[in-house]
Amino acid sequence: MSPIDPRLQEALDGERDPGTLPADLREAYDRLTGAAQLLAGAPRLSVSARVMAQIRKAPHPQPGESSTQRALRWLGRPRAVTVRLRPMWTLALAAGLTAVLLLPFQNGSTPQPGNAEGVAQFVGHFPGARSVEVVGSFNDWSRGMLHLNDDDGDGIWHGAAVLPAGQHEYMFVVDGERWVPDPLAGRYVDDGFGAGQQNSLLIVRPATAEP
Amino acid sequence: MVNDGAPDVEVVARVLGGDGEAFGILIRRYEPGLLRFATRMLGNPDAAADAVAESLVRAYRHLAQCRDPARLRSWLYRITGNRCRSHLARRHTNDIPLSEAPAPALADNTDAWATLERSEQMALVERALSALPAEKREAFVLKHVEGMSYEEMAAVTGARIPTLKMRVHRAREALLVALEEVVR
Repeated sequence: MSPIDPRLQEALDGERDPGTLPADLREAYDRLTGAAQLLAGAPRLSVSARVMAQIRKAPHPQPGESSTQRALRWLGRPRAVTVRLRPMWTLALAAGLTAVLLLPFQNGSTPQPGNAEGVAQFVGHFPGARSVEVVGSFNDWSRGMLHLNDDDGDGIWHGAAVLPAGQHEYMFVVDGERWVPDPLAGRYVDDGFGAGQQNSLLIVRPATAEP
Repeated sequence: MVNDGAPDVEVVARVLGGDGEAFGILIRRYEPGLLRFATRMLGNPDAAADAVAESLVRAYRHLAQCRDPARLRSWLYRITGNRCRSHLARRHTNDIPLSEAPAPALADNTDAWATLERSEQMALVERALSALPAEKREAFVLKHVEGMSYEEMAAVTGARIPTLKMRVHRAREALLVALEEVVR
């Protein structure tokens, strides 16, 4: 691949009248703009109905917050470094994790992973919360599909789900309105909205691959 | 009631004020371009539809985080571009398998020969585009298919303008070679 004439680049960038190009460059100009025109055809799909059906079930977006509100929310949001360095929390979470691992499923509702599926365990410490649920790429970020439980009221919420093996992004939704990354996730990824927020990252291994 | 021709800022304010149905105006306004962009990036109309649907739902959920609703288009393309990159990363390759290249879009044309010729040209152009690395493919599509300025492309991709110009220039060079004698 060799560099093309700067005059052609300028014409394609709208900085030069293509009518002033010599014949060979004009032909190349027409070839590239013709290709772009072919690619610009309107798609025949529509996702409008599907998207509107989903957002009618979604929580309503709230107007922007003031800088004070944002600061308060930032201060109130759990941070991994805080949770991990407090011995009391660590002990409580360890106890919760142990309980979940020993009694992962109850009341005969054991999820059974199929081929290329695995069981994902979710645990979070949210004292005083009225509800905690998990939304993520595996349920199209829809609420109401994966609720965590805190049957003994100790503030440790847990639950499990069968998910396709692979990588999933997720967040906790506390009391139906507060979106919180999992402090114990260990891995995070930018949420793609340009505000520096992060989603938690979960890697589910196929159950059949476990020893 | 906000009308279909209302500016983005007005429609966004309406949605944030409680009229969720007004988001449909934004969908109708930007869906064709987003689907076209995602299809060119992923080479698969179904995967593109999934990426755009997910992006629009996320955009609705995070609409309050759109700091400049007057630049809503850039914000939506940015979200969609991120979803496309995630999709490509999961496939462990930036190249579109030829088997997934979208079927040529046949023009509504009674001249069967012209239609066939256009269809063949379309398939060749799509194949040439799919052979580009994802970053160059994205830059070419945003510039020449979506008609964006370099400033808007920078807002969409997060890349610097000189970087984007270089990607577009390299994409043009590669496409010119691939399209030799194809599109006249």
